[in-house]
Formats: sequence, C-alpha cells, structure tokens
Amino acid sequence: MADGAVMLLQAAADSTRAYGEFPVIGARAFVWITAEVHLMFAAFVLGVPMFAVVTEAIGIFGGDERYDRLSKEFTRLLLVAYSATAIWGATLVFGLSTLYPRFWAYLTAIFAPSMWVYAGLFFVESFTLYLYYYGWDRWKKGRAKLGHWTLGILLNVWGTVVMFIANSWLTYMMSPPRDITPTTDPTTIKLWHAIANATWMPINVHRVVANVVFGGAIVGAYASYRFLAARTDEERAHYDWMGYVGNFIAMSALIVLPFAGYWLGREIYQYDQSMGITMMGGFMSWLWVIQAFLIAVLFLTGNYYLWIGMGRIPGAERFRPYTKWLLIILVLGAIVWGTPHTMIADSKELAAMGGSHHPLLGALGVMSAKNTAVNLMILTTFLSFLLYRRANTRPVVPWAGTGTMIQGAMFAIAAGIVLFYGIRGYFVEAIVRIGFSVYQVLAVLACIVCVTVIDILMARGAQSLGAIRWGKMPARSQYALFILAVTFTWLMGLMGFARSGIRQYWHVWQVMQDTSKYAATPALGYASKMISLCVLIFLCLVAFVFWLGGLAEKSTFVAPGAGDEGGGRGDRHVGH
Amino acid sequence: MWVTNLKIVGVVLGTLALYTLIANEIPQVQSEVPQTLTLGTNVTPEQLVAAGEKVFNGIGGCTTCHGLGTRAPNLLTDETGTGPIGVRCGKREPGKSCKQYLFESLDNPTAYVVPGYQPIMPVMTKQLSPEQVWAVIAFLESQGGTVDVTASDIPSTTSTASSTGGGGGGGGGGLAGGSTDPKAIIQAAGCLACHKLEGQGQVIAPDLTHVGSRRTADSIRKKILDPTSSIAKGYEKLAGIMPKTFGAMMNAAQLEALVQYLAAHK
Ligand code: HEC
Ligand code: HEC
Repeated sequence: MADGAVMLLQAAADSTRAYGEFPVIGARAFVWITAEVHLMFAAFVLGVPMFAVVTEAIGIFGGDERYDRLSKEFTRLLLVAYSATAIWGATLVFGLSTLYPRFWAYLTAIFAPSMWVYAGLFFVESFTLYLYYYGWDRWKKGRAKLGHWTLGILLNVWGTVVMFIANSWLTYMMSPPRDITPTTDPTTIKLWHAIANATWMPINVHRVVANVVFGGAIVGAYASYRFLAARTDEERAHYDWMGYVGNFIAMSALIVLPFAGYWLGREIYQYDQSMGITMMGGFMSWLWVIQAFLIAVLFLTGNYYLWIGMGRIPGAERFRPYTKWLLIILVLGAIVWGTPHTMIADSKELAAMGGSHHPLLGALGVMSAKNTAVNLMILTTFLSFLLYRRANTRPVVPWAGTGTMIQGAMFAIAAGIVLFYGIRGYFVEAIVRIGFSVYQVLAVLACIVCVTVIDILMARGAQSLGAIRWGKMPARSQYALFILAVTFTWLMGLMGFARSGIRQYWHVWQVMQDTSKYAATPALGYASKMISLCVLIFLCLVAFVFWLGGLAEKSTFVAPGAGDEGGGRGDRHVGH
Repeated sequence: MWVTNLKIVGVVLGTLALYTLIANEIPQVQSEVPQTLTLGTNVTPEQLVAAGEKVFNGIGGCTTCHGLGTRAPNLLTDETGTGPIGVRCGKREPGKSCKQYLFESLDNPTAYVVPGYQPIMPVMTKQLSPEQVWAVIAFLESQGGTVDVTASDIPSTTSTASSTGGGGGGGGGGLAGGSTDPKAIIQAAGCLACHKLEGQGQVIAPDLTHVGSRRTADSIRKKILDPTSSIAKGYEKLAGIMPKTFGAMMNAAQLEALVQYLAAHK
C-alpha cells in the first residue's frame, strides 16, 4: 500500500498522461518491435566494423589482397545499414515518448546529458564511416593505408561508446542503485551514479562479444547467399572462403560468450536475489530450456559445417571416423544442458513429481552438470576446429609425434578437470560449487591456448597434402550457414526478452512500476511469436540492404585475370 | 536461381517456425502483476475473487499443502462428502458464519482443526496483507457458496500491510511487529508448522533442535532466504515445500537474530 500512495503522489505531481495507445498491435508490441529491430541493426553496425577492421589488418599485415577486398565489401553494406539503424532508433524514441510519456520523462530527467552526447557521437560515427568507405581507394598505400585503418578503429571506438551509453539506460532500468527509491526525485540523481549501475559493465562486455558473433554470422549468411548465386568457380571459391571466415569468427566468439553470461548472471543474483530466482527458477525457467535448445542447434550446425568442409580438404579423410564420436559427445552435452532445474508446476504435476525437483532434474538440472556439459561441448568444438586446421598438412618438425601426444594429454587433462569438479559439485555447498565453475573454465581456456600454441609451432614448414579446394562445397553446407544466422538472431531476441522480462511489472526495478494494461509479462509462446516477427522483419530488410549493395556497385570479387564478368552476372541475382 | 531463393526462404521460415512452435509447446507461464494495489474502496466481488484466486495459486503458497489430497483438506473440490469449502464453511463451527470461519482459518488456524489433520497450517494473516487475506476468503467463498466479502471488511489501516513488491527493498517493519526475539519470529513466521524445535512443532520437515551441528550460520541464512539453495539430506522429496517468502517478511535484524539463534542449536 505504501507503493500505492507513492504512485498516487507521483501521478498528482506529474500532470502528463502516463500512457498512450498504438492502434491494432498496441503500445507494448510497437515498442517491442521497434526496439528489437533497432537493436539487431545496431548489433549489425557494431559487429561488422569489428569484422572489417580485423580483416583489413590481416590484409595489410599479412599481405593478402583478398582480405582487403572482403573488408571493403562489408563496409559498403554498412552505409545502408547505418541509416536503417538510425530510422528504427528514431521510431523507437517517438514510440517511447508518445506511448510511455511518463516513463520517458523519468529517464530523460536522469539521462538527458548522456542522450545529447549519444546523438553527437552518432554524427561523428557516421562521418567516420563515410571517410572510411569513400577514402578506401584514395588511401590505399603505405602510411595512408595505416591512416585509413585507424579510421576503421575509430569507427569501432565511437560505435562502442555509443552502445555503452545506451546500455547504461537499459541497465539502469534493471538494476537502479539501491539508494534510489520510488520517492527519489529523478533530477537529483547523479548521472554517473545512474550509469555505473550493477549490471552495466557485464552487459557491455556481453554485448560486445555477442556483436562479434552476430557480425560473423550475418557475414556468413551473406557469403552463403552469394555462393549459391555464383556462376563461376572463382566466385564460388571466394564466397566459400568468406563464409568460412564469417563462421570461424562467429564460433570463436561464441565460445567466450557463456563466460560473459555467467558474470552477468552473478551480478544479477548479487544485486537482487529474488530477481535472480525469477530468472533461473521462476516464471522464466522454461526460457533456459529453449535457450539450451538453440545453443545445441548452434553447436551442432557449426560442427556440421566444419565436418562437411573437410570434404574440400585433401587429407581430411584421416579424421572422418572421429566425427561420429564428436557428434555423440555434443548430443549428450546438449541433452544435459537442456535439463531444467526448477520448474513451475501446478499441484497435480508437483504431486506426480514428488516435489518441485524431479529426481532426474535434481541430478542433471543443477549447475554442476550443466557447466560440465557446456565445457565439454566447447572442448569438442575446439577439437573439430583443430582437426579441420590439421586436415591438409603433415607436420615435419621432428617432435611432431610428441607434440600431438602432449596436445592429446592436454585435452584429456582438461576434460578430466571438468569432470572431476562437475562430480565434486554434487557433494559440496552451493557457495563452494559456484567457485568450481571457475576452475572448469580455466582448465578449458588453458587447454585451448596451449594446444593452439603447440599447433602453430608444429605447423611450421608442414608438408602440404594439397591446397584447400575452396568452392568445392555441397549446397547443404551453405544452408547450414543460414540456419546459424537465423538461430543467432533469434537467440538474441530471446535473450533480450529475458533481460527485459525479469523486470516483470516494473519500468525501473522496484522504483517505477508499470501501471499500463501491458504490465504483466507475457508467456514464452507470445514472446516467441514477437521474436520471430522481429527476426523476419530484420532479415527482410537485411536482404534488401544486400540487394542494394549489389545494385550500387559490382561485387568486390574480381576473378583473377578473367575480368569481372562472372561477378557482374552473379550480382543480378542478389536478394529475393 | 528462383529455386535456390525459395529454398533459402524455406530454410529461414522453417527455422523460425520450429522455434516458435517449441516455445508454444512448453507450459505457458505469464508473470502477473500483484493484485493488491488495485483493490480500491469500490472493489467488486468479482474482482476480489479473481485477485484471491491469484493469491491462492501464487504468493499465498496454499497449493503446497491443499489440493495434494493427504496433507491438508481439499478446498476447491469435495472433502469427504461435505462439498467444496464454500459449501461447508458455514457448518464447521456453530454460530460462526462462513466468512468468520474462513477468516479464523487464516488468522488462527489452530482454533478449529479439521478432524483427521495435523495443525500445521501457518498463520496466514502474518504472511499476507489484509487485502490478500480477504481476497482469498472471497475466492474460497466462491467455491460453492456466496461471496459476501466487501471492501469494508478490509481494514483501512495501511501500515500493517506487507507490500508484495517482490522482496528485498526497504527494511520495513518485519513480522511480529519487528521484534528481534527469535522465539517470537519463529512463532510469527510459522516455522513450527513444519519443523520441530526443542520438542515443539510438527515433524514433516527436519527437526531444527540440532540444526547448528549440521549447518553453519551462513548456510542457515541462505536456506531461509532461498530454500532451494540446498536441500536437507533425506528430505529431497519435500524440496520446494518450505516457503520462499521468509526473506521478504523479515527485516535484516530479525533475520540475523533468527540465524544466530538456530546456529547456536548445536
Ligand atoms: C503447511 C501446509 C498448509 C498451507 C501452506 C496452507 N494450509 Fe490451509 N490447512 C492446512 C491443514 C493441515 C488444514 C487442516 C487442519 C486445520 O484446520 O488446521 C488446513 C485447513 C484450512 C482451511 C479449513 C478447511 C476446512 O475444511 O475447514 C482453510 C479454509 C484453509 N486451510 C485455507 C488455506 C489457504 C487459503 C492457504 C493459503 C493462503 C492455506 N490454507 C495454506 C495446511 C496448510
Ligand atoms: C511449509 C513447511 C515449512 C515451513 C513453514 C518452514 N520450513 Fe524449513 N523446511 C521445510 C522442509 C520440507 C525442509 C526439508 C527440505 C528442504 O531442505 O527444503 C526444510 C528445511 C529447513 C532447514 C534445513 C534443515 C536441515 O536439516 O538441513 C532449515 C534450516 C529450515 N528449514 C529453517 C526454517 C525456518 C527458520 C523456518 C521459519 C522461518 C522454516 N524453515 C519454515 C519446510 C518448511
């Protein structure tokens, strides 16, 4: 009731109306769609420049022209994607200020200065992009090229700062500092105090990594489309290679993502126990089952793509028999990870299970088992990559045999440590158990780093069993890349729902209550329809952007020596 | 090329459809807004009943005991031929109307113990706000009887209401009038409805008389704040029964007093 009185006061003091209404789909759906599609584009225009800068650097320092062209091809797509981001962002702001005016007034009262900086940086960012793209051929050699590359880095810096600012607004909604109460006058809240809230940094890190994953996945989808549309072998080889690079970047960054996720989850628990419980065991518990399913699809599809890819590598036959064992580990891991922990059940189901913890859920659903499963899946995926890398070479260094044995031992030790702590976890208190996940993660990371170093040393002067036959990929491998892109995008929508949904009926957690008719947080079924709709809108627009990119200029692919006839022909078919 | 385009569209739509389908197949749980704040002075019986149903199935925790068949009497369905609670409530105690009896069941459950059951029902007026209590009564009355709860039944004193904001937040008064006497807290929180302590209370949950020898103070504190954090050995089947609302009911001083008191029970 105290809350009620405060709300009355608030309403009386503030004569602006609290909520507006949007025709047909309603206010919440409108804001949901604009925010989500804006965010997907934002992730795209943040992820792709990271991608572009890295590939440009590989081009500069590795001397491989292909990478430079790849980088430029992507920057071109960015131009259109930028305006799409801005348009959706503006629509979101209009939506918020007309449909949620009181909440919007509250946010602006705290954050106004940061909003101006945000707008200013967006300008700077766009102009940097124009210079970066249109200066590409001007500043092509020597020092000028390095200067050009610096522009690319700046582009990323601006983009990241812009994102950090926006993150501060939404993390404030989730975890406002504890001294802020419903009665706090928003104009008295110090800006930095509000920005540096409990979940700000974890979300920043999580999103940066996720954007790399996302950028890589979209690049992969673009390449696979061009691959399927290609008319010549050279073109096919180019886009096959591009798809591989995109997928490689996406999968490598994906491996880091769960760690950022743990950090975020821990901060949420520390900030507010009951928020953490709602998230993992309350009305959202099923969401993690769906998430686990999507992650399993990602791991399986990513590995599948690699395994098919071995077909184009001479010498890869040697590793064929292993793939079925890898597959078995992945599937088992996925099942364990998907086992829910605590379920919301009605009394009949409760009775049937004998308590809210099913005996089987009790054994497999706990964090110990899940961490073990996901760490083993990561090790397996890494092994797939390693076999792939190794496929067409035969090491010649004298210690090759020992080296491989050491690598094998490292895998065994890492897996052993993961399993040991996984099982120990059942016999200790939760507090100790949480510490165990750190050892598991460290074991896996150490294994990845050491094995990679050994592998690089071992590959020196290795005898080649034949060049990779880029372009010799069956079409189904390319559809796998599409599934990856769709799944990444959907997963992003789902996690966005989780992040926003744990606030439940609060605009600002325990500070400003949502009193609109949309205050209840919808169930997953409805959310999934919204997510699918957003993904569809986004993908259609992205297809359009790609098609425009093809219209404006021919593909940067230039068939060596043969002129660019083939590329030109392929272009006409971009988009659908 | 059109075939390829169609295939791509097919793969994309198929993947989306699969995810949407799975998400719609699982149990659908919507997170509701707590109803307490909306019960104004002109609340209708229908609104009360609807709010009460939510309390009954949600924050009230009634379904952990009622509806399983053996632990507590059925309320929504027939109980040994006497009909659902709305039918039998007026006939339980001579001279007590249905409304009076139901309030007593929640306010002082041991005053009348239904034959054949243990007196384990917690004092609900200590855990729920008056709005929630009266809404639940209206809901129970609607199970076969007539709803005669009105806004005037709900005491206008707002200070006793424990906000349902979701735990955490301000210190607040806490239960038992904010007393830090552990015995009073245990009494008010209703721990003995399930636990035994120094020979008093029920035996459905572990005896707490020597809990200090099994658990550290830290572990007891965690257990009270988040009962699912660790389950007592041998009681795995009862996991989830212990209410999760204690953290929100006590203030920090009370929690500490209770924890130290229990930890000293070696
Ligand atoms: C810890 C288990 C437990 C919980 C939780 C519980 N009850 Fe009970 N309840 C009982 C038992 C056992 C009885 C029968 C013994 C008695 O009358 O005290 C009972 C009796 C009742 C009765 C009287 C039934 C009759 O046939 O006369 C009502 C009404 C009732 N409970 C309502 C509720 C409501 C409403 C809630 C939730 C706000 C609730 N109970 C939560 C165990 C519980
Ligand atoms: C509705 C019944 C119920 C109520 C009320 C209840 N508990 Fe429990 N409690 C249980 C059950 C069942 C268990 C055993 C299963 C488990 O560990 O969750 C348990 C376990 C415990 C344990 C762990 C015991 C051990 O041996 O490890 C502690 C400590 C505890 N409760 C403290 C409390 C305190 C303090 C209160 C009052 C503030 C309380 N409980 C109220 C049902 C209840």
